Amino acid sequence: MTELSLRLAVTFAQIMAEMGIVVITIATMTYFERKVLGWMQDRMGPMEVGPYGILQPVADGIKLFFKEDITPAGANKAMFALAPILTVVTALIGFAVIPFGPNITMDVFGITVKPFVVSDINIGILYILAFASIGTYGIILGGWSSNSKYSLLGGLRAAAQVISYELNVGLAIVGVILLAGSLSIVEITEAQTGGFWHWFIWGARPDGFFPIHTQIFAFVVFVISAMAETNRIPFDLPEAESELVAGFMTEYSGMRFAFFVSAEYANMTLVSCVAASLFLGGWNAPYPGTIFGYVGLEQLAWVEHIAWFAAKVYFFLFVFVWIRATLPRLRYDQLMRFGWKVMLPIALANVIVTAIAVYFFPRG
Amino acid sequence: MNFKTWIKTITFYDILVGMKATMSHLLHYRSITLQYPHEKRTLPDNYRGMLALLRYDDGTEKCVGCDLCEAACPSRVIRVVSAEVPGEPTKRYSKEYYMDMTRCLFCGMCVDACPVDALGMTREFEWAVYDKRQLHLNKEQLLAIGDRSFPVREKQLELQHPNVAFFNVAFKNLPQKPV
Ligand code: SF4
Ligand code: SF4
Repeated sequence: MTELSLRLAVTFAQIMAEMGIVVITIATMTYFERKVLGWMQDRMGPMEVGPYGILQPVADGIKLFFKEDITPAGANKAMFALAPILTVVTALIGFAVIPFGPNITMDVFGITVKPFVVSDINIGILYILAFASIGTYGIILGGWSSNSKYSLLGGLRAAAQVISYELNVGLAIVGVILLAGSLSIVEITEAQTGGFWHWFIWGARPDGFFPIHTQIFAFVVFVISAMAETNRIPFDLPEAESELVAGFMTEYSGMRFAFFVSAEYANMTLVSCVAASLFLGGWNAPYPGTIFGYVGLEQLAWVEHIAWFAAKVYFFLFVFVWIRATLPRLRYDQLMRFGWKVMLPIALANVIVTAIAVYFFPRG
Repeated sequence: MNFKTWIKTITFYDILVGMKATMSHLLHYRSITLQYPHEKRTLPDNYRGMLALLRYDDGTEKCVGCDLCEAACPSRVIRVVSAEVPGEPTKRYSKEYYMDMTRCLFCGMCVDACPVDALGMTREFEWAVYDKRQLHLNKEQLLAIGDRSFPVREKQLELQHPNVAFFNVAFKNLPQKPV
């Protein structure tokens, strides 16, 4: 009994810590995105609240918290309330299986804990895919229950788009799973230790340098499809401002709107984490071992690992913003054609080629 | 599609060119916007801002109530009610003078039309109000704007004959705008 409650307490503390990190990342991203976008467009971005507008996320949070919560007439009240919760919960829950530090264990009051991953389940990647699909329900429900034509159109578009692109995400991941032989993100990351040529984007076998199992096509497909799945520009058709006001979140205000927005940023962070873990070696440094390890501070190696993971994730987040600053929105038929006629064949071919390569040149 | 375009397509060449452009703007960041309430643009010398009615240096209004500005105005901003100066039957002045600044397009035609240069354009532009009725200005308000924007006033002309209405102010006596 005491062991169970202790385990619960430790897990709860871990979840709280991870949630704190994710929420801070989201807040940082809302600032960072506006700032970088502004700089790329020769503007200043937020400048008013605090020095260089650094307190803008806080001000936004307070403002949204005190805003009036409007439910449109004729809306389905229960569904209308459920949609943002569903979206934000499914966006945040995926972080439970992301290892953001090395796979070490620690003893806390006699319980073995993995400090850098909340739950190392053996189907981690499937779990993330499953919850990403449930998150789509939040968008569709939000669009349908608002009793507004713009929201409904946005929701329908989101449904079609997320379904088509999720297929590509899944297929792009298959290659990685074939190489690692596991669905656990921790094990997939561990399979890429020892230098950047072992990362699955290059895919050298553990004993060599030659990138025989390269997943670079899968990587490109994954990044593009992930961008589409998180409804980011240039794939932001569900919330196309110029046509649909704000798409599925047109009728939302106050904290519910904040939920949708933070879910978008959380999803962005999540796919960045997944891309970093699956293709860019997760917490592994791009050279074998760690610098702390070489100078004899082996117990501090986790700092370096976490720093590398954060660097990769923030690199992806920066790319998201960069793309947003560069590209205009796709037309709907272009979006669908790109998804089904370009991305899907590449992903399928990649699965077949990787399977053959792994069969003839097995790893390790 | 020849080989070169094909290679460009599969490597997203055009998108990379665009991304290079945005990145170069980030690296050579120089803001072209201003933090407006804190720092303001320098206005050009011929800036056409808020309209104002002017006075001579002894405090009399320049306006002779001729109604030419009302006729010149393309958007019917101005309404003049002209009247004789009490006790001086040859002289006229504007008894009432209204400007509905919600409609003004700051073309400056009224200023051009005025024969005695009684109208001036100031460099004020921060005239946002919460109630648009506050933009319906009467003569006192317009004179007040003129008083605060043109501190250097023109000399009243010595007239040849008291029965001649005073027109034609010499160009060198035009009021100077504050810089
Ligand atoms: S500036 Fe133009 S629009 Fe405005 S009052 Fe004068 S003539 Fe009319
Ligand atoms: S044109 Fe000049 S003098 Fe004539 S009414 Fe207008 S402001 Fe007065």
